[in-house]
Amino acid sequence: MELRAYIIRRLLLLIPVLLGVTLFIFGITMFFSPIQRATLYVTNLRQLANLPAIIEQYGLDQPLVVQYGTWLGQVLRGNLGWSNVANMPVSEAIWHFLPATLELAIFATPLIILIGIFLGSTAAAHKDSPVDHGTRVVAIVGWSLPTFWLGLILLMVFYGYFRGFLPPSRLSIQMDMVVNSAEFIRYTHINTIDAILNLNGPVFLDALRHIILPVITLSIVNVAFIMRLMRSSMLESLGKGYILTARAKGLAEKVVVNKHARRNALIPVITVSGYLFAALANGVVITETIFNYKGIGWWAWQSAFRLDIASVLGFALFNAVLFVLVNLVVDILYTRVDPRVRLGGSVQ
Amino acid sequence: MEDLVTIRDLAVRFYTYEGVVHAIDDLDLDIRQGETLGIVGETGSGKSMTALAILRLIPYPGKIESGSIVFSDRDAGDELDLLTLSEDKMRAIRGNQISMVFQEPGAALNPVFTIGDQISEVFLLHRRQELGYQAKQRVDSLLSDGNGLAAGLKRPFWRWQRRLYNKIAGESHPVEPRLLSRIPLFRRLLWRLRDEASLLTVDMLKDVEIPDPARVAVHYPHELSGGMKQRAVIAMALACSPKLLIADEPTTSLDVTIQAQMLELFRRIKVDKGASVLFITHNLGVASEVCDRVAVMYAGRLCEVASVEELFLHPLHPYTKALLEAVPMPGRELQTIPGALADALNPPPGCRFHPRCPSALPMCEQERAKLKEVSKDHMVACHLF
Amino acid sequence: MTDWRFMARQLARNPMSLMGIIIIVVFAIIAIFAPLIAPPPEGHWNPNPYMIPRDGYSATPQPPSEEHVFGTTEGQYDIFYGVIWGTRTAFQIGLVVIGIVVAIGIVLGSLAGYFGGVLDEVIMRITDIFLAFPALILAMAIVSAIGPSVRSVMIALAVVSWPSYARLIRGDILQVREEDYIEASRGLGASSGRVILRHALPNAIYPTLVMASLDIGAVVLAAAALSFLGLGAPEGYADWGQLTSFARNWIVGPPGDSLKYWYAVTIPGLFILLFVLGWNLLGDAFRDILDPRLARR
Repeated sequence: MELRAYIIRRLLLLIPVLLGVTLFIFGITMFFSPIQRATLYVTNLRQLANLPAIIEQYGLDQPLVVQYGTWLGQVLRGNLGWSNVANMPVSEAIWHFLPATLELAIFATPLIILIGIFLGSTAAAHKDSPVDHGTRVVAIVGWSLPTFWLGLILLMVFYGYFRGFLPPSRLSIQMDMVVNSAEFIRYTHINTIDAILNLNGPVFLDALRHIILPVITLSIVNVAFIMRLMRSSMLESLGKGYILTARAKGLAEKVVVNKHARRNALIPVITVSGYLFAALANGVVITETIFNYKGIGWWAWQSAFRLDIASVLGFALFNAVLFVLVNLVVDILYTRVDPRVRLGGSVQ
Repeated sequence: MEDLVTIRDLAVRFYTYEGVVHAIDDLDLDIRQGETLGIVGETGSGKSMTALAILRLIPYPGKIESGSIVFSDRDAGDELDLLTLSEDKMRAIRGNQISMVFQEPGAALNPVFTIGDQISEVFLLHRRQELGYQAKQRVDSLLSDGNGLAAGLKRPFWRWQRRLYNKIAGESHPVEPRLLSRIPLFRRLLWRLRDEASLLTVDMLKDVEIPDPARVAVHYPHELSGGMKQRAVIAMALACSPKLLIADEPTTSLDVTIQAQMLELFRRIKVDKGASVLFITHNLGVASEVCDRVAVMYAGRLCEVASVEELFLHPLHPYTKALLEAVPMPGRELQTIPGALADALNPPPGCRFHPRCPSALPMCEQERAKLKEVSKDHMVACHLF
Repeated sequence: MTDWRFMARQLARNPMSLMGIIIIVVFAIIAIFAPLIAPPPEGHWNPNPYMIPRDGYSATPQPPSEEHVFGTTEGQYDIFYGVIWGTRTAFQIGLVVIGIVVAIGIVLGSLAGYFGGVLDEVIMRITDIFLAFPALILAMAIVSAIGPSVRSVMIALAVVSWPSYARLIRGDILQVREEDYIEASRGLGASSGRVILRHALPNAIYPTLVMASLDIGAVVLAAAALSFLGLGAPEGYADWGQLTSFARNWIVGPPGDSLKYWYAVTIPGLFILLFVLGWNLLGDAFRDILDPRLARR
């Protein structure tokens, strides 16, 4: 099976990169003193009380290579250290904060992709028209917006001026109590989904009200990017020979654009989705911080600010691994979408 | 028998950033029923534009300025001026009664769809009623032959399908199937049409001598060789048995050996399908192999039209003569035509060719010659005649 | 290959790029004449002019007035002074980071692209590792390791950005390497260095220019974000992101006048937006010009 062989091959190639990533992270830790580094190894508060023992146990004064080995061993065992900020082991902290960020991603990603593709195609189909220029201006301005500033302004207007219409944080205080009560079963810790599963309307609406602004903030910058890409991709596609053939066959212009041109134009956009993940990861840190939305991004910032290196590095490592995997998925997706890049050989 | 296509006074201009380009001027041309007419000329002579004008596919910033292109329509039984038709009616003709084959088959085919899909598309577009009828027949046979529990359960579904396809077969714009085709998921319910179209597609591929057509149909363009691709494109063009097939340099990008096969294919098409072919090329040799009559164009204007033997044996226009002279022959020095192609933005007054013409007369600079019949079926636009 | 003059003419024609150039020039003027536009007051509490003068220690931001044209932030830092000198900071960060990054990118990218083989593989794997991290997060990690300051922000952003350039230039060199004129110059006996510098690079460099001008905006945005998060310029430094961070607690005013402190948020942010916009317009126009497909005839 070609696909399976390809995946295995890519996963194997992944290992040196991941090793390199860990090496890099480890390199950064070396900027810190052994005492600070102790937090990288402990899993509960009590252990921290006895620092010399920790240093002894994990060989924090040993030569670099030995340290790296020890550290790597710990990491592979799932021990990423202790997070001061979260007051729990780093690995647990990641699981604790992940659902909130996932919720943002679930809402933001389809929005970004669909709106970006739609606007991009429209701009390309009406090239040089006011629509095209308008969307282009919007795209460039959107691309130039500082995310944190946009978030603040949105809060200022929709929370301040409009009297708490769209508030920050994940839930209002009452709803938070409902969600944490015994009657409410938390399946996924993603508030909107849990609300649906619990058939609880008020919680759902409340969660929605809190998530709108962060999602908009996250989306605007990235929509601009996708839109520009889609536009230029569509323009390139529309200039190709098969478009003339399609018209010569008697197809309606709508079919020519939507079926023939767009299918080809989507290909570069898909390959770029990997970068979208990175952009979202970045955006999430700022957005969650501004809106006090306690997801991974918020935790990462708190940790960086308070120099909680175990958390920061754990977060960076987590992100890197995820990113590498996402790229793999995107690459495979790409081969599915573009027949020219199939994994097997061809005929004749 | 009237001519299939009568072009009169065609003018095509391009409004570019630098100025107005006269791509075609004052073109009068007839394409007769069942003939293969060749248009010969250099790059920039306007031959491709003539083809695109017939199909009304002149790209921006070009415009068809004036003229008429009269086409005798098979279905309506009368004559239509293609330049005044509504876009809807024009689309019904494109790919159906008039179709086109392009120079680069690789570029002409969409890389993300299979060969079969791209050819079936033409059937699904122009032969929908026929396909609907066929589909209905198949469902009928299912209904009459089906036995047993499984068949019994599916019966209502089949009956509904039968109604569906009957509608497609009977009316030209049935509402129900059209609504269905808009909703992506439900589009699948019309899959029988696709199946019927695929059958026709495979037949078509067989016609153009593609080996193992069923297997080729499920392949993608990049998986085929150049010759195969071009055959597929020809299959796509011939799918609905057009009365006019326009071929724009179909063999130029192919190997010489494949070229020979391709020309053989064109000859066969002429015989089997009875279609007229407008064969555009810059290669005189190719033209001599396939065409019945040949028209020579220079800088957007027609110079000479004659039967292929007449043209090659008794060329009249100085440009035609120069072209024939320029064909490389062993043992002889290469003859060239001095000068360069006229500037399309500022064409010289009078005859476009006169700066390079060895027999130019003083009046050639002032006045253009009109196309005149000099001998039987042999027309020239030159003051020498 | 594109002539510089032709490019300049094209840039001048395009209304968007024209606006971008104007914006950048205006900012450049502000930066150069900062000491004149917003002179450090006598008795300034800090000899470093980049530290914003304070007018008291009250926590409440004051609205624009005659004395403080754009008002003051929490802690009474003069916003006007901050954004004017912040322009200098922005230019510094943008140009220095991009300068370093392009230089490193050119060196490593050319080596990798031109010589190929093991060198190429090694350099590519290294870039892979760097690129595995979302930029802001890695920058955050680096800054927290070195300790927050404007300098560490520049270092962190440089570390994070160079891999993209190395890859870009490598790709361009790879394309250009196969061209005939490269072989021709090698045939004439030119050394590798000479070939790279005089022949390969000049032709490969245009996409890099596009990316670089777009990136100056991105770098300044990232630096502002880091400073906003408290991981960059120290408190009171004339940096736009830093200024905006003061506004965090003041986005909602007292009931009845909720937009009271708008100036604290809006003004510094607007400067960031316009600055980045200028560079983005320029970079976008660059990209349109260099795009061979759009050559209009």
